Amino acid sequence: MLEDALIPLSITLKVAVLSTFLVAVFGILISYALARRDFRGKWLADILVTLPLVLPPTVTGYLLVVLLGKNGAIGSFLFETTGWTLLFTWHAAVIAAFVVSLPLMVKTTASAISAVDRELEYAAYTLGHSELETMLFVTLPLAKKGILAGIVLSFARAVGEFGATLMVAGNIPGKTNTMSLSIYTAFQSGNDALANILVITLVVVSLLSMALAARFVDRWSV
Amino acid sequence: MGVKVSLSKKYRSRGRKGGRDDVFSLDVSFEVGNELVVLFGRSGSGKTTTLRCIAGLETPECGSIVVNGKTYYDSDSGVDLQPQYRRPGYVFQNYALFPHMDVRKNIVYGLKGWDTAKKEERLFEMLRLLHIEGLEGRYPSQLSGGQKQRVALARALAPSPDILLLDEPFSALDMVVRMRLRERIKTIQKELGIPILFITHSPEEAFSLADRVVVLHEGQVRQSGSPREVFYSPVDRDVAELVGVSNIFEDGDVVGNSPEGFVLEGRGMQFVTSSDVSGSDIVSWGVRPENIHLMAYDEGLLSDECNVFAGTVLDVTDKGSSKLMAVELDGSNVVLLCDVPTRLLDDAMGSRVIVNIAAQDVLVFE
Repeated sequence: MLEDALIPLSITLKVAVLSTFLVAVFGILISYALARRDFRGKWLADILVTLPLVLPPTVTGYLLVVLLGKNGAIGSFLFETTGWTLLFTWHAAVIAAFVVSLPLMVKTTASAISAVDRELEYAAYTLGHSELETMLFVTLPLAKKGILAGIVLSFARAVGEFGATLMVAGNIPGKTNTMSLSIYTAFQSGNDALANILVITLVVVSLLSMALAARFVDRWSV
Repeated sequence: MGVKVSLSKKYRSRGRKGGRDDVFSLDVSFEVGNELVVLFGRSGSGKTTTLRCIAGLETPECGSIVVNGKTYYDSDSGVDLQPQYRRPGYVFQNYALFPHMDVRKNIVYGLKGWDTAKKEERLFEMLRLLHIEGLEGRYPSQLSGGQKQRVALARALAPSPDILLLDEPFSALDMVVRMRLRERIKTIQKELGIPILFITHSPEEAFSLADRVVVLHEGQVRQSGSPREVFYSPVDRDVAELVGVSNIFEDGDVVGNSPEGFVLEGRGMQFVTSSDVSGSDIVSWGVRPENIHLMAYDEGLLSDECNVFAGTVLDVTDKGSSKLMAVELDGSNVVLLCDVPTRLLDDAMGSRVIVNIAAQDVLVFE
C-alpha cells in the first residue's frame, strides 16, 4: 500500500522539479525580453505565454496532443528524426506542467524586472558592463523576490497539475500516474484507503516544500 | 582634444498636464576643451538628452560625437559605440547606486578585469579623493544624500574615464554640502584634466562652477562662452532671462549719445548704457535685480546724472538674505524688480525711493 503512494510521489516530484527548473530558466529569459526588449510581435508572444492561464487545462492538453502527437507539427518531426514519441511518457507530463506554470513565472518575474530602476542598468553600461552581465549582476538580483515567488508558484502549480497531464501523458501506473492522477483513480475505483494515504502524503509534502521555500525566500531576499 | 558634439534628434515629450505629446526637436552643437563645462538651461531644454546621447544611452538621429579624438558616434560613417565601450563617468540625478551592493562593490564595479590588489588600491584612492573613508562597508540605504553623491562620483571616476558627465548632481542636496561638492568637482577637474560636462538649471551654480557655459534653450545652443560673457553679455532675451536679467525692455530706440554712453528709450523711459550700440537703431536691454540701487527718497539726490529715477515701492518679498522689491518708476508704467540688502531700507509698501543704475549694468542684447 505504501509503495502505491511512493511511486506516484516520486513521479510527481520528478516532474515538478524538472518542469520548475525549465520554467525558471526559460521564464527568466522570456520575462527579461518582455520587460526590457522591443521586438516585433511582442504582444503576440505575451499572449501566447499567458494563454494557458486562461484556457482550461484540458484545452491546453488537447492543443499539446495536437502539436506533440505522431501527426502533430513537432511530434512528427521528432518521430521522423529520432524515432522518439513524446506522448504518454513522463516527459510529456513535464511539458504539460511546464506549459501551464510558465505564465505564473513570467507574469511575476516580468513585473519584478520592470520594477527595477532602468537608471541602474544604464549606470552598469557606463561602467563597462554588457547587457548580459548587467542582467545577471544588476537586474536579476534586484528582481530576486519576484523571481523566487514565480518559482514557488510554478512548483505548486506543477505539483497540482491534473487536466493537461491526463491528456498528454495518460495515467499509466508506474510511469505517468502522478499524485493528483492517482488520487482521482483511487477515489473512482472506491479504494478510499489508498486515496486517504495519497491525500495525506501530498498535503504533508506540499506543506513541507512551502515551508522550505518560505525560509529560502527569507534568507535570499534580504 | 576636448569634446565635439553636433547632434539632432526628434522625440516625443510628454505634453504638460496629460495633454497631447509634443514633438521636441533637439539640434545641438558645441565644441569645448578639457575644462569644466556647464550645460545650462531650463528643464525640458534638452540638457539631459544631450548628455545621454554623449554617454550612448540614447541615440541621436544624425550628427557626430567625438571625445578626446575618439569617435563615439558618427551618422555619416555609421559609428555608434555602445555605452560599455564609451565608458563615460556618468553621475545620475538620482545617483543610481546599486542598492544590493555595498559602497566598496559599487565603486569597484567599473574596474572590470583588474586584479584584486589593484582594485583595493584604487578603491582607497577614490575614498580618499572624495573624503569618504570608512564608508566602504555601508549599503546605499545607510548613506546620507551628500555621501551617496560622493560615492556616485567615486564610482564614476574609479575607471579613469575620458569624460565625466554629471546630470544635475547636486539638486537634492542642501546649500552647504552643495558648495563643498562644487569645490571638489573643480579640484578634480584640475587634477585629472578631463572634460567635465555638468548639467544645472541654477544660474548661481552655472556661474560659480563653469570654465565655460553652454546655454541650451528649446533644444538649441543659444550661447556658449565664459560665465562672464554669458552672464554679462547675453545674446538674446531668452538667455538674458535664463541668466537672471529680469528687468527687460524690448525693442527700444537708440536716441543719442551722452558722456557715459548711448541713450536708449523704451516704454517712456530713457536709459544710458556703456555698451556699444553704434550701428543699431532698435535694441533690447535689461538690468539684473541685484544691480539696481535703491535709496530713501531725497529730492536733492534727483540730478541730471544718468539712470537716476524716482519711484514708489509696490511690493516687497523678504528672501532672508535680501529683499525683492517691485518699484514703479514715476511718469511711466515701468515696474523694476530690485534685489536689495535687507537692512538698507525701510520696506513699507508705498514708500518713495530713488533708483540708480550704473551705465555698465544696462545690458544690451538683440
